[in-house]
Amino acid sequence: MSAVRDRNESAWLLPAGTGTNHGLRELMRHFADDDEVDIVIVGAGAGGSTLLQRLARAGWRAVALDAGPFWDPERDWVSDEAGSHHLYWTDPRVIAGTDPVPLGSNNSGRGVGGSMVHYAGYVPRFHPSDFRTQTLDGVGADWPLQYQDLKHYYQDIEEELPVAGEHWPWGDPHSYPHRPHPVSGNGELFQRGALAAGITTKVGPVAIANGRFGNRPHCIYRGFCLQGCKVNAKASPLITHIPDALAHGAEVRADSMVTRIAIDQRTGQATGVHYMRGGVAHFQRARMVAVAGYSIETPRLLLNSDSPRFPDGLCNDFDQVGRYLMVQGAPQTAGRFDAEVRMWKGPPPEVSSEEFYETDPTKPYKRGFSIQTVSPLPITWAEHVMAQGHWGAGLRNYMSDYVHWACLGALCEFLPHAENRVTLAQEEDRHGLPVARFSYSQGENDRALMKAAQEQMELILTAAGAAEVITIDRYAHLVGGARMAKRQEEGVVDANCRSFAVENLLITDGSVLPTQGSANPALTIMAVAARAADRLLISGRANRRI
Amino acid sequence: MSTFPLPRSDGGARFPGFDAASQVKHWDTATASVVMARLGRPQDIRFFTPAQEAAAGALFNQLLDQHREPRVPVVSIVDARLAAQQTDGWHYEDMPTDAQAWARTLAALDEDAGLRCGTLFATASLNEQARLLQSIQNLGKDMWHGMPAQQVWSLWTRYACTAFYSHPWAWNEIGFAGPAYPRGYKNMGVDALEPFEVPDANPGDDPIRTKAEPS
Repeated sequence: MSAVRDRNESAWLLPAGTGTNHGLRELMRHFADDDEVDIVIVGAGAGGSTLLQRLARAGWRAVALDAGPFWDPERDWVSDEAGSHHLYWTDPRVIAGTDPVPLGSNNSGRGVGGSMVHYAGYVPRFHPSDFRTQTLDGVGADWPLQYQDLKHYYQDIEEELPVAGEHWPWGDPHSYPHRPHPVSGNGELFQRGALAAGITTKVGPVAIANGRFGNRPHCIYRGFCLQGCKVNAKASPLITHIPDALAHGAEVRADSMVTRIAIDQRTGQATGVHYMRGGVAHFQRARMVAVAGYSIETPRLLLNSDSPRFPDGLCNDFDQVGRYLMVQGAPQTAGRFDAEVRMWKGPPPEVSSEEFYETDPTKPYKRGFSIQTVSPLPITWAEHVMAQGHWGAGLRNYMSDYVHWACLGALCEFLPHAENRVTLAQEEDRHGLPVARFSYSQGENDRALMKAAQEQMELILTAAGAAEVITIDRYAHLVGGARMAKRQEEGVVDANCRSFAVENLLITDGSVLPTQGSANPALTIMAVAARAADRLLISGRANRRI
Repeated sequence: MSTFPLPRSDGGARFPGFDAASQVKHWDTATASVVMARLGRPQDIRFFTPAQEAAAGALFNQLLDQHREPRVPVVSIVDARLAAQQTDGWHYEDMPTDAQAWARTLAALDEDAGLRCGTLFATASLNEQARLLQSIQNLGKDMWHGMPAQQVWSLWTRYACTAFYSHPWAWNEIGFAGPAYPRGYKNMGVDALEPFEVPDANPGDDPIRTKAEPS
């Protein structure tokens, strides 16, 4: 543990037990708007917070602006489903295409910590094959970097979160710093069914410390991971990277909505960001700008930052901004048991299988899917029941059976398509800025994966003894929209997350991912941001004017 | 009041004596204040017009089978959300924003009821209301009053279920104990219950095997 503490002291900077280190926030450094900071980061989620912490440690004068609040979990979060609505990005957006993707509570975070505040907590690595799907399978895209380039960043972040799980046999086999958690009824049934069906499962990998970690307490298995962890057991940047960043002189300026990135029209360099705070327009000067607003807001901000040099939007000379946005197909299949499962008890993320992750040459589709436990709370469970067409007395009757159901979720690797993209809508937000229009349509391979994943989940639950199974089709996660590539004609940033068009502009969030595998993206987003920070620091040390 | 009048044949009385709110002393203050407010006096209507309130009330009674007291005050809860603009933010390109969609769909319900039953939706008989709703659900991807019927259905049911299944009375009906912080759970696993949980009195009452017809 000492090695982790030496490079990221966040867990030791929190108060013992639950709660927030208010002193750290009160003593936080404040930069003036006209003080040219070394870097201003837009968005304090998975990518932005990791970058902030790394650069602050290296002595950079760094500030992260976030549109949402600086959460105080004890005061702001509740152990309740409907009461957690404020955790989501709920500014207006338009969804379109043949398969429109609902946003909000499904995949869009808000405030310091970003979507990791309400993610389940699964943090699998991508497989080595994910970085070369075009070469290996003739689909998707090759990354401008390889698994080996990210490997030690994966290890670093796994120690910092930290991650608990069994030894991982899939992809590049590896172990986790914390032992696996005990599993609840839901996980038990997944294991039982998979064993009977000859499918390997493993407990984890979850970013929930098993045992105390620094001052962070042990998980209490209350099952409200998706409502923000009041316990401080589940990792989010709010507790894993922000405290250390503050202790090293970084500023986090919350409630600050960045509206535009400014570009010097003579030099083509970024000079800072315009933002709104409390209704007042500000401009923060900066030597560098990093955008980390995630797959919808990052492209939107670039498109809204047009200027004579960039008439079609910043970094959009080759019409790449907003494109290749991906979601994972995430069907959830539930099974009915005479025994009581009470799937809401225990963290929703418990057990997973990556047995079907890679391309199977005997199948008519490319790439694959993973299967994980999920455990919908009552409102979400009602959506499952309504998806079967029930309402009225039928709905109430079905819902009364809640204690008997177990639920699995799949993550299907949907492929990147150029036409799945963010553009600007006619509609405007309260600041008068055009909102994002997100168009999404599935391809044939995508549909085939959804079907295959459902069949496997039905097989597993039936093998576990389920009398009936029901499935709801849905989506999870967002990545892409400003992808990294080898050439500027094919993407927005290079392998180091530096934009092709503006030398001092980085994008360090999930939007840079060219493919998504069947893995939850949080760990990879953090690893990519940690690597970008390293590359930035190395290039700085070589005395190049950045 | 902690028990609904749902008949045993419709899934009622499965968790006799179970009362989620009785555990409030084990909840944290922030959570308790949010949840217990739902048991307090329903908020006054601010968003819906009287005509919309009437149509919405009848719609929610149908969708949630709440035809007698005590009822979860779903109209008031949905109205409060819309008045506070507490929506999910996004909307389908072929649908108006949530607030406009509510106004339009409730007016359309009254219009259909006028054509089919010669009265407003709220004053049509329960059977007529149910038949009208079923015909809208059956439209699937087809259009209804210029909007895709399935998006209209999704809008109605999402708001209805979010309101209803946030209420401790609804939790009692399904055996869910609600908030779990700071206490957490100690007994995890199949058929493992906490001392404050109540086992299902009718564990064989599988709604699929008993072939309960969807309404």
